[in-house]
Amino acid sequence: MSRKTERLVNLTIALLATKRYLTKAEIFRTVDGYEGTPESKERMFERDKDDLRNLGIVIEVGTFDPLFEDESGYRIKPENYQFQLGDLDSRDIALLSIAAEAWRGAALDSSALGALVKLHAIGIETDSESIPDLAPAVLSKDTNLAGAISAINSRTIITFAYLNESLQEEGRVLEPYAVASKYGHWYLFGNDLDRKGLRSFRLDRISGLITTKGRAASYEIPSSFSVESHLHETSSHQTAELYLRTGRAIGLRNKSKEIADADAPLDWHKVLISYQDQERLIEEVLWYGEDVVVIKPEVVRKSVISRLQSGVKRYG
Amino acid sequence: MADKPSTPLEKAARLLDLVPYISTHQGVSIAELAAEFEVTENELLSDLNTLWMCGLPGYTPLELIDLEFESGYVSIRNAEILQRVRVLTKDELVVLLVGLDILHKSIDENRSDLLLAIDSLQRKIKGIIGDVAAISPIVNSAHRALILKAISSRKTLEISYHSLIRDTVAIRKVTPLELTMDHGYEVLQAYCHLAGAYRTFRLDNIQGATLSNEVSQKDFSKQIDADLQIEFSISGRLRTTLERFRITIEPDVALKTERFVASSFSQDWLIRNAMSTLEVTEVLTPESSRTELAQRCQKTLDLYESPDFAKSS
Repeated sequence: MSRKTERLVNLTIALLATKRYLTKAEIFRTVDGYEGTPESKERMFERDKDDLRNLGIVIEVGTFDPLFEDESGYRIKPENYQFQLGDLDSRDIALLSIAAEAWRGAALDSSALGALVKLHAIGIETDSESIPDLAPAVLSKDTNLAGAISAINSRTIITFAYLNESLQEEGRVLEPYAVASKYGHWYLFGNDLDRKGLRSFRLDRISGLITTKGRAASYEIPSSFSVESHLHETSSHQTAELYLRTGRAIGLRNKSKEIADADAPLDWHKVLISYQDQERLIEEVLWYGEDVVVIKPEVVRKSVISRLQSGVKRYG
Repeated sequence: MADKPSTPLEKAARLLDLVPYISTHQGVSIAELAAEFEVTENELLSDLNTLWMCGLPGYTPLELIDLEFESGYVSIRNAEILQRVRVLTKDELVVLLVGLDILHKSIDENRSDLLLAIDSLQRKIKGIIGDVAAISPIVNSAHRALILKAISSRKTLEISYHSLIRDTVAIRKVTPLELTMDHGYEVLQAYCHLAGAYRTFRLDNIQGATLSNEVSQKDFSKQIDADLQIEFSISGRLRTTLERFRITIEPDVALKTERFVASSFSQDWLIRNAMSTLEVTEVLTPESSRTELAQRCQKTLDLYESPDFAKSS
């Protein structure tokens, strides 16, 4: 049972210790654990290489002498094997450790543990004294979050069923670019291959599991793509003018800017609020009922009035 | 503790990480090591026994990793090749990138030293994996830390809470019981001294928190308020409407359903949601909710028709 484990560790040690490329024949002869027919050794080795790559270990393939058509060989360069964030001080270690803790118990729990063990193995005492008491938490246990991240990292195309507004499943094929969390939900961004363009999806609206399609490294993320810009979406904002009753509609008030208005009725304030999604704004205005009145834009005002009229008719 | 046995690959990864860890923590106890790697002591002993058989080709005592752990404390020699801390995988880098993002957004502006350190770490990570993940947290990590502290010390907490339902911000004295998830939102179950009853508070609506020195002696066992319900139909925007009313239902069942039931401890929450979704929902029962909706629609409509607000200035 632990033969495979042993063989993987021995292979890593051998490839890491060598200063030149080791041929397959040399590996089979010297590394403990390669047994059986030539074909089965061959298969074992191919699987082992894939396994080590999945651990993030880069195995280089090369030849001894470029002048001759030699058999190719393998090695792991120490600089590719070791921790890659360079020199860290005790405060950096503390920050990174707290950052990793955010994922404990969540979708990337095992990666969080992996990162923590490596950070602690550096052997620098963490300096948590200088950092305020914080308990960051990601909380999402969505398996699709881990699946999406791993597909993004390996640049693998994915397919999934997405629930549309009528709860019908729509098949999607996507080159995933990034994940981002806002308003407490995780979104997946990518190039939708059928609809030919950048699209975003709320992860909890994906029905069933994401599956990968094809090989790793099958596309590149354009350098113009920025996940931060999608997180804050400052473009294409519109502005609405509302009256809010004094002390009420706090949710809207917090997002808006008060403006002076000498004509404002007693106990009312005029505010400006920027919005992107008109439907969302209308729903929020209606949530606050008789504590909000829309002045502008006309289309929002009309829509609120017509919904109220149909409400009166329906419930009256 | 791991509840299922590791795969050979997971075990190999752990062995590769054990070497540098033991190298910088010579003499660490088996118990400590098992806790750090989150495995049972038996699994750890099995790891160490496997590691002991590994080494450079040749596999004579000269080439094998030299481990000593019979005393219950572990030390390692002859493991120079594996001594370096292993490279972080891309998934581990995403974990760190997102975690740092939360920290960055939770730390006060006056700690520019920390903010700069986080920036620099994030730049390093993005240089390796690209700009592939970000988070805009809705809960303040300092509030969560304080709540966890209050729960473990049974201390009373004063929170400034924005209730979307009541449309108020008020200071409430609460005895926190537990943090849980409710339909994707992180919530605090607590005994509210203001209401004299158990209440659920959404963490993202907590605007401030301070720990008091009062320790609660009373035994607050959990108890759930009676649920209020409405029955309603949906004529459009089915997905968003079900999400809004927090109804979890299989899509094919939802498509065949004509009357949905929404429950809440708060009548006001139900009414406000029905107002928000006026265009696509109709509340069928109870009659009192229909009357309340009719009144609220009429009152609001009256405002639009009053001279004060009639003009579209």
